[in-house]
Amino acid sequence: MIAAESRAEPQPHGASLYGLYVVALTTSLLGNLLIRLGDRGRWLPPWGQIVLGALSVAPLIVAAVMFWRLLRRDLDEMLQRIVLEGLAFALVVYVPLAALYVNMRTAGAWAPRLDAPDIVLAPAVLVAIGIAIARRRYE
Amino acid sequence: MKNTLPVLRAERGWSQGDLAERLDVSRQTVNALERGKYDPSLPLAFKIARLFGQPIEQIFEPDGGDHR
Repeated sequence: MIAAESRAEPQPHGASLYGLYVVALTTSLLGNLLIRLGDRGRWLPPWGQIVLGALSVAPLIVAAVMFWRLLRRDLDEMLQRIVLEGLAFALVVYVPLAALYVNMRTAGAWAPRLDAPDIVLAPAVLVAIGIAIARRRYE
Repeated sequence: MKNTLPVLRAERGWSQGDLAERLDVSRQTVNALERGKYDPSLPLAFKIARLFGQPIEQIFEPDGGDHR
């Protein structure tokens, strides 16, 4: 008899974690939006903006802890490799693009104005793309 | 890297899921191993060898001249 506890189907963990990340990112972006609206409408004092800014990031910290546990304990070696390749892809694409963007802005060349949501979401989207590419390599 | 995993598994009448549970890896990993898309770590290769009661070199064979 095969033990029931295994890593045979880890996708649900990964899928729910990704869902949690989407929710957590959305929460942090909502927090950012509320801070800006509160500042503009003058209904949220500075200390409230700080508290809201910190609280809205809390789900991301929970997601980070869960991600770490998933990576270290629940994923097998190939799935770990896929996730790490996805993270590496995001890093190698994001850093040069970010540096190029900063330099273009500094040089006064045309560059789109990026808001906080763009900056926060870009790495997450790149990680998702990187994981999808890495998965294809091993299918 | 070529391997005889599909044959060894079929001889025992195991599904990929069965083998995955015995090796404590995902079914996708077993699939990738069997198709030669993923080369196992040394600990996993030893685990596979122990499970099938054969030496590693009898199960895994490097592709011609490819020693990545």
